[in-house]
Order: sequence, then C-alpha cells, then structure tokens
Amino acid sequence: MNLLKATFGNAVQNIVRNKLVNFLCFGIIAFTLLIFGIFNYITYNLEAFTQGFSKNIKAIFYFQDDIRQDEVELLIARLRENLLIKEVAFTSKNQAEVDFSRQFPELKYILSEFKNSPFPASIEVEFNQEYSMDTKIISLIEDIEKLDIVESKQVNIDWAQKIIVFKRFISVMGLFLSLILIFVSSFIIFNVIKISIFYRKDEINVLRLVGATDWYIKFPFVIEGAFLGFFGSLMAGGLLFITLKLFPLYATFVFNIVKGLINFKTIPGGIFIKLIVLGTAIGLFSSFISARQFLKIPKN
Amino acid sequence: MIEFYHIYKQYVSDQYALCDISFSVQKGEFIFLTGASGAGKTTLLKLIFKEELPSRGQILIDSLNINLIPHKLLYQLRRSIGIVFQDFRLLENRTVYENVAIPLVVRGEKRAIIDKKVMNALSLVGLTHRRNYVPTHISGGEQQRVAIARAIAANPKIILADEPTGNLDTELSIEIFRLLERINANGITVLVATHDNHLMELFPKRVLKLEKGRIVSDGKIGGGH
Repeated sequence: MNLLKATFGNAVQNIVRNKLVNFLCFGIIAFTLLIFGIFNYITYNLEAFTQGFSKNIKAIFYFQDDIRQDEVELLIARLRENLLIKEVAFTSKNQAEVDFSRQFPELKYILSEFKNSPFPASIEVEFNQEYSMDTKIISLIEDIEKLDIVESKQVNIDWAQKIIVFKRFISVMGLFLSLILIFVSSFIIFNVIKISIFYRKDEINVLRLVGATDWYIKFPFVIEGAFLGFFGSLMAGGLLFITLKLFPLYATFVFNIVKGLINFKTIPGGIFIKLIVLGTAIGLFSSFISARQFLKIPKN
Repeated sequence: MIEFYHIYKQYVSDQYALCDISFSVQKGEFIFLTGASGAGKTTLLKLIFKEELPSRGQILIDSLNINLIPHKLLYQLRRSIGIVFQDFRLLENRTVYENVAIPLVVRGEKRAIIDKKVMNALSLVGLTHRRNYVPTHISGGEQQRVAIARAIAANPKIILADEPTGNLDTELSIEIFRLLERINANGITVLVATHDNHLMELFPKRVLKLEKGRIVSDGKIGGGH
C-alpha cells in the first residue's frame, strides 16, 4: 500500500516536474484524439443517415403474362422464409388495373381499350432494415430477377450500390486514420517517457543503488504514460463536445446545408468512453514499451 | 562476511583492472582500500554491490555467491549495503529528509517508521536541524553527512564509501572518518576507498593496498588520533 502510494506519487511528481513537455504532450494527444473523435462522430451520423436513406429499399418484380398462381405462391413462400426480407406483397393483374384507375382516374378511359388488364402481376419486396445496406440484398435482387417467371424489376439499386461503396470507403478511411492517429499518439508518449527517464537518470541510479525493485522504478513511468493518455483523452472529449456545440453557431450556413442532408444526432456517450479507453490504453502500452527499453540495465 | 576468491576484472583485452584479488573481511571490520588513481579501488567496491561483474572468480557475501543472484533479486543484495560516493549523489530537488528517506520508501516502510529511522540517522550525523533544506543549500561536508545518513538509514550490514572525503578539506574529512568509525562501532562492516595516507595514519585500521589491480599489501598502518 505504501509502495503503491509512493509509486503514484512519483508519477504525479514526474508530470509536475516536466510541466512543459507534458503540457505539449497533453495538447498533441488531445488534438489527435479530437480528430479521431470528430471522425467517429461523422461516421456515426453517416451510418444513421445511410440507414435512414436505405431503410425503405423496396424492389418490385413484374411477372411474365403466362405465370401460374402456384408458381407465384411458391416464390412468395420462399421469399418470406428469407431473413433479409421483411414483407412480400403480391399485386395481381386485376388489382394493378384497379390501382391505376384509382391513382389516375383521368386516364381510366385508356383501359377500356383493353380486353384484359394490360398491367403485369407483380410482387413488392420490402427488405429488413438491419440488412438494408447488406451486399446480400443486391445479390438476392439479382437472383430473383434471373428467374424465368420474372419479366423485369424496378429498384433503385444504383443508389444502394453507391451508398455501399461510399460506406466502405468511409470505413476503410476511418480505420486508416485511426491507425495513423494511434501510432502518432503512441510515438509521442513513448518519446515523452524516454525524455522523462533521461531527465531522472540520476534519481534512477540512486534508486537502484539503495535497493529499489525494477518495478518500483518502472511503474511510475508506466503510470505517467497512462495519465498522459487518460487526461489527453479527457481533454479531447471536452474539445469534441465544445467543437460540436460551437460548429452550428460559427458555421451556420454550412451547418444548415449539412443539416438539410443529415439529421445530426446528439453526441453519443459511447464516443467519449471510446476516447478515454483508447487514450489510456495507448498511454499504458507506449510508456510500458518505453520504460522497458530505456530502463534496461546493461550487462557488464 | 565478504570474501573475494581469485577475482579478475577485464574491461579491455589483455588489460586487467583487477588481477587475482583474494581477501576476506570479517563482520564488523573497518578496512581502508588504498592505492593511486586507477589502481582498482572503485572497481573492487563496484563488484561488491554488483554494479560490475567479475570476469573471473567468486565473491561471497554472507557465504552467498553474489554471481548467482539473478538480476530480479539484485535489490535484496543492495538493501544490505549502504553506499557513499565522493560526489554524494544526493537528489537536488528533494530535501535532506527526503534524501535520507529514499532507501526506506523503496522498501515500502510505514510513514512512522520512516520518520523514526530518518531522524535517527540525521541525529547520528548531526543534521536534524537541516532536514528541510535542499542539498544545494548546505555545505559540502554536510552533503557528505547526508549521504552517510542515507547509507545507514535502513540499517545495512555493510557500508561502502568510495573516496568519501575526496571533495572535502582535512578538517571535514576527519569529521567524516570519525562518523564512519562511529557507525562501525555499531557493528556495521565498513570499507572505505581512499588515497589519503594522512587520514589512514590518523585512523589505524586494516589497509588493503592496490597497485595496478593487484593487492600489494594487507595490514595495519597508522598511529592513532
């Protein structure tokens, strides 16, 4: 207990003694994590936007004229078993004629020219929202279209495909950017701890000579790194909150345009937790590696 | 208590810092290591607290071959030894009290015990009134006394002092040697490396004389003080 207190005390002393270096480190970590946070927030909103945009993806499949009722029923039964599909609604030729007459009463006279309904029977397939952007839906639509009984389809598949590509791009970009930022933060903390070790070289030598254990010497540096990461991420969280609150005030014009496209959600608490866990983990890991490397005792 | 058996230390090939050193020190003994600069005094002391490893030979402390102590457990050996350096090696950003407390803090001692032991050590070296000073605000002689207080604070079995009076004038040097003698009187084994013959004459103890890494004499010199 006394040792633990002394160790934490040493870590805090290290931070206070190297005020300037640690202040710069906090700033840089906060800035890199802020970018990470903003990116996360944008991705989160984009996700919500694309889900909202694509949740009503529906496909209408028009059947051949000579289709039999049992073939339709079999197809509908099979489609209803599919997890990707939420609802399948059948519209017969006659129903299509009735619907047309209801929607366009002024054009009703055209239909009197036909002996039978000129409209094909069709099914309208509504997909489950949770799979709305799944590539499997596109494959399924293509598979249904290939059936002999299907004459044509009507679906805004191009949009869906574009959104999927865009989402993939954003995911890859997010991963790439996160990796770079994690590396930058780790590198900074690694070097701050290295400086801290060199700054306290004399003290470390004295500690070794009076019988301090390896862990007693290393632990304050590891804790120092964790502190840097933790407080850097707290600062990043605060800055993220302020940035997102101030953005609509200082960029009203841009914000209104964007708002027209995306209905911004409130900042999810998960982003802050992610930032803090990530910041602390980066701090712990980098300082551990740094302490391991620079506190190694040379063999005589 | 300390036994050296045919110790060799080689830093560069065909040049020995120490060559075939064998001697033993009894518990509670006071020994001077003497010799010109570069004779191997500091190297010999460093071998005792395992700052250096011998190239050949064995060193036993309390019958334990220190070569066999794994790095992880080296702190246990160091805790049984108090070390005093010529350049004091005090931490300038800590007070006298905090400097003396270091060996006790790293052991995880309770605050009350630390307080008691630090005050005892400071009282022995006559510096209780300076406990809240930082080392840069006290004299060289006082700094060396603080270093001695730090070395004895955790009740070690052995005190190693490497030229403890190298930076001090004669009067202060005598004071430091008297202090070391007092510590030795409490049963602590003391090894002092010095090249000051005058002081060795004032304090008649066993003297190990080194020349070019070899022991050239082992006996008592001096006529008392």
